[in-house]
Amino acid sequence: MSRISAAFSSFFAILFSGVLPESVASEFGYTKAKPVAAPPPEPPKIKVTDGALQILQTLQRDSRLIDFLMEDITAYSDDQVGAAVRSVHADSKASLARHVTLTPVIDGVEGTNHKLDASKAPDPNRIKLIGNVPASGKVPGGTLRHRGWQATSVNLPPIGKQDVNVLAPAEIEIE
Amino acid sequence: MSQFIIGIDLGTTNSALAYAQESEVTLFPVPQLANPGEVSEFDLLPSSLYLPGEKEFVEGALALPWNAQPSYIAGRFARLRGVENAGRLVSSAKSWLSHQAADPTQALLPLNAPEGVPKVSALEASRQYLLHLRSAWDHAHPDAKLAQQTVLITVPASFDAAARDLTQRAAKLAGYPEVTIIEEPQAAFYAWLERNPNWRELVKPGDLILVVDIGGGTTDFTLISVTDKGGELQLERIAVGDHLLLGGDNMDLAVARFAEQQFADKGTKLDALQFHSLWQQCRTAKETLLADGAPASHPLTILGRGSGLVGGTIKGKIARDEVRQLIVEGFFPSVPADAAPQRNRRVALAEVGLNYAADAAVTKHLAQFLRNAGNAKPTHLLLNGGVLQASAIEHRLFEVLNSWQPNPVVELKNASKQADLMHAVAHGAAYYGIARAGKGVRIRGGVPRTYYVGIESSLPSVPGLPAPMKALTVVPFGLEEGSKVELPQRKFALVVGEPAEFRFFSSVSRRTDAAGVLLDEISDSLEELAPIEVFLPPHTDGTREEIVPVTLETYVTETGMLELWCVAADNRRWKLEFNVREKAAQA
Repeated sequence: MSRISAAFSSFFAILFSGVLPESVASEFGYTKAKPVAAPPPEPPKIKVTDGALQILQTLQRDSRLIDFLMEDITAYSDDQVGAAVRSVHADSKASLARHVTLTPVIDGVEGTNHKLDASKAPDPNRIKLIGNVPASGKVPGGTLRHRGWQATSVNLPPIGKQDVNVLAPAEIEIE
Repeated sequence: MSQFIIGIDLGTTNSALAYAQESEVTLFPVPQLANPGEVSEFDLLPSSLYLPGEKEFVEGALALPWNAQPSYIAGRFARLRGVENAGRLVSSAKSWLSHQAADPTQALLPLNAPEGVPKVSALEASRQYLLHLRSAWDHAHPDAKLAQQTVLITVPASFDAAARDLTQRAAKLAGYPEVTIIEEPQAAFYAWLERNPNWRELVKPGDLILVVDIGGGTTDFTLISVTDKGGELQLERIAVGDHLLLGGDNMDLAVARFAEQQFADKGTKLDALQFHSLWQQCRTAKETLLADGAPASHPLTILGRGSGLVGGTIKGKIARDEVRQLIVEGFFPSVPADAAPQRNRRVALAEVGLNYAADAAVTKHLAQFLRNAGNAKPTHLLLNGGVLQASAIEHRLFEVLNSWQPNPVVELKNASKQADLMHAVAHGAAYYGIARAGKGVRIRGGVPRTYYVGIESSLPSVPGLPAPMKALTVVPFGLEEGSKVELPQRKFALVVGEPAEFRFFSSVSRRTDAAGVLLDEISDSLEELAPIEVFLPPHTDGTREEIVPVTLETYVTETGMLELWCVAADNRRWKLEFNVREKAAQA
C-alpha cells in the first residue's frame, strides 16, 4: 500500500467510522485487540455405559420392556402372557425402529447356500463359522443359518442433564 | 417476491404445513419434542399445548433446536404428557376461537387447571402452534424465512368473521406476514384439483359438488357449483354449513367410552393413562372394523399399571357390529331428506364449555344443510378427513344421499395414499396459493354468510320490553374478495369520545338479501355474533364536535377478511372492530 493511499484511506475511515482501516493497521504492524471469547461450556461428561442405559430407558418408556423382563411370569397362563406380549412387542419394535436402523448382515435366505471368499478367513465380526470348520478357517461357503443383525444407523437424542441410571421414575398419582 | 407458498392447516387436533416452490406441493415434517430431550420430525403437529411447571422437567429437557428454554411445549410430547397431567394441557383451542360464550382473548385455558397454573387464552394457544411452525420452518430455511413467504391458513368454512379475524390476529402475533384465509372444504377441493389435472373431464357445467369435511373436532359442508362462462369451466362455492363442533375425535371417544363401560362391567376401573391407551386402541379398532372385509372383532388389551405388567393385563374385545352400531348408526343414521337435527338445549346457567353439537347425527345436519341451500341435489361428493376413510361410513353417506334424490351421486376420489386425507387441507391451501398467483383454477366464492347490523326501531317502546330490533343487511352473501359495498341510504350518529356499539348478526341460510335491505325482525335464521364497536377519538386540536353522522361501508379484503368502516361526509373513516370480550359478557 502506498503511503499516500494509506494516508487517504486512514483519514476518511477515521473521519466517517472513527476506526483505522484494518488494511492500514496491519501495514503498520498494529494488531486489533480481539474480544476474548468466553471459554466454551464444559461438555457434559458421558460415560461409555450411558448409551446402553439410554436405550433401556427408551424401551421402558415406550414399551415397558423392563417391567416385562423383570416380572416373574411363571404363574401366569400363556393366554395372559400372550395378551401382554402383543402390546409390548408392538411398542418395543416401534421404539427400536425409531432409534436404530437394523438390517441383516447377510441379506440372504436362511437355509440356502451362501458363497464366501475361500482365499481368506471371514471377518469374525460379521461372520461366525459353525459346524465342521476347517483348521485354516478358509471356506468357499456354507448354509446360511442366521442372517445376523447390524445397526446401520443409530439416532439417539443427546444426553442432557438427566440421570441415566434411573431407567423409569417412580410414579405418584395425586388423587 | 417470495420463494415459497406455504399452506397451513391449523386444525382442532392436528396441524400441518405444506409448501410449494414451483407447482409441486410438499409436506414439511415438523420437528417437535417427542419425549423429554428428544426432538423428532413428524408430519403432523398435534394442536396440543402443555404448560410445564417450573421443576417439572430436567433442565434442558424441553430444548428445541431454535429455543433452549421454551416456556410451552407444543405438539406430540404436549399431548403425551397431558394425558398424565390434564390440568396443564390445552387442547381444542380452535373450537374456543369461535365460541359464542367465552372470550377467546381471555386466559381461560386449561379450563380445569389447578390454582396457580398460569392459564392462556385460545388466541395465545393458536399463536403458539403457529409460532412453533414458523420457528421450525425458519430453522430449516434460514435463507427463506417464513415472514418473507406467501402464507395461507385454513379455517372451517363455518367460522364467522370474528373467528377468522382472531385466526389472522394469532398469525400476526406469531410474526407471520399478512396471511390469506382459505376455507378447509375448499382447500380439500383444491387438493383434489391438484391431483386431477384432467378435472375438466370429470365434471361438467350444471354439476353441483358437495364437500363433506370431517376433521378431528369439526364437520363442515360446502357446495361448489360448476358453471360455463364463455366456454371455460368455472367453480363457485355457493353454500357453507353451520358451525358444527362434531368430529372424528367424538367418534373415537364414543367407541372408547363404550369399551370402558364393558371393562367396568367386568369390574375393572381404568385410570386416565389406561383410558388413553384404550382410546388409541379403539381408534385402530374402529378403522379396522369399519373397513371392507373387516374381522368380527378386534382385541383390546389394557396392560397392568405399576411394574406388574403381565399380571395386571386385562383382555377385552370390541365387535364389528358394536362399532358399526356406535359409529354408522350413531353418527350417520339413515334419515329422510326432511330430517332436522335436535336444537340446542338452552340451559339458563350453562357452564362455560365447548358447545358440542346437540345432535350427533351428521346425516341430519347434512339434510338440513341441503334444504337450506335451496333443496340442493348434489351430483358429486368429495369426502375429506381421516374418519371418512372407513368404507362403512362412506357407503352409508352415499346410501343416504342417494335416497334423497333421483340421481345417484358420483364420488370424487381425493387420496391415493391412506394418510393423505390427513394432509389434504394443507396441500390444498398451498395449491390455492399457486392458483392465486394465476397458475391454476380458482373457486369463486366470496363471503359465505349474509351479515346484518341491528337497528333499534323507532317505535315507541313498551315499558318492560326491549325496543324491537330490525336488521340491516351490510354484507350480502357471496361478496367477493377485493370488493366493497356502500350503504349511503342509512346514516348513523356517532358521538365523539364514546364507544359506539352495533349488534351484529349473520345467517348462512338467507342468501338473497341485498345490501341495504332491512329485515323487520330478528328471526331464527339469524345468529347473533359478537357486537362490533367503533371509537371516535376526541379531536386533539380542541375543536368541539359532538356528533358525527356516518354511513357504513363494508369490504372483503384480497386475503378474504371482512372489514366494516364508518365513513363521515368529509371522508374521515373509522374501522369497526369485533368485540369478542363483549360476546362473552352477554352469555
